[in-house]
Amino acid sequence: MKTCIACGMPMKDISDFAANDPGKDYCVHCSRPNGEMQSFEEKKESLTKFIVKTQGADENVARKIAENMMRKLPAWKEYFD
Amino acid sequence: MSGESIMGESTRQIQKLNTRKKIIETAYRIFAEKGFSVPSSVIAKEAGVSHGSIFAHFPTMNDLTVSVLSDFGDKIGTRLHELAKNCDSTENLLKEHLKVLEEYEAFYFRLITEKNMLPEEARYTFAAVQSTVAFHFSIVIEREIEKGTVKKLPTHMLYNTWLGLVHYYLMNKDFFSDSNESVIKRYGEELLSTYLELIKI
Repeated sequence: MKTCIACGMPMKDISDFAANDPGKDYCVHCSRPNGEMQSFEEKKESLTKFIVKTQGADENVARKIAENMMRKLPAWKEYFD
Repeated sequence: MSGESIMGESTRQIQKLNTRKKIIETAYRIFAEKGFSVPSSVIAKEAGVSHGSIFAHFPTMNDLTVSVLSDFGDKIGTRLHELAKNCDSTENLLKEHLKVLEEYEAFYFRLITEKNMLPEEARYTFAAVQSTVAFHFSIVIEREIEKGTVKKLPTHMLYNTWLGLVHYYLMNKDFFSDSNESVIKRYGEELLSTYLELIKI
């Protein structure tokens, strides 16, 4: 099964893929409304906000967790070298 | 390159992956039994591989701990993903959460009791595991809030209340049982039904 290069989510159904396109390597949550993949900064901010919203973490801590998650994903490798 | 050497290369690759898998699986069990400060030599011995082989795959214990935690996150993620996608209920999602925790109970107990002593990277990896659970939890519970079947409370408080309840029983397992039985198995149903009673409209 393909996993999203930008967040690691498994992509099985067509609706998991960006723009319902199974040819894409990233998921619906990591794309902009026009189907492009979000930028590094956009993704970092959206993940940070998501961690705060769903787990109530301190915002600075949430940002560090988000960076650590992104470090391991193929889409963002170059930002950490 | 001859066909034979390609075969040789792929056999070595498979062996390498198998060794890595064996080390990770052994580490789950040894971490559960002895905690996260166990020396790598113990894991090597139990896995039946040389000490050098562990270093070749995981240069530091932190690398091994992080790999085991990532693997755990992938396992939970895969199990919860389908349920969340298929518009399932909060009840079924939390049932599955409890089922995974019961399967890994000894390991998870060590994790939540020793977490603050783990190196930073391992702690962030654990946070990523919990974020995966929170991701699926939020999809399901927000759908129920919209439908009017769950009280309109902030997602993080709904999530933390659930984790708080489950972790309290796990962390005080010596209080809730006088044997080594699974507290999730014994109390899981009661925890779930009480939690649902609290959040449902």
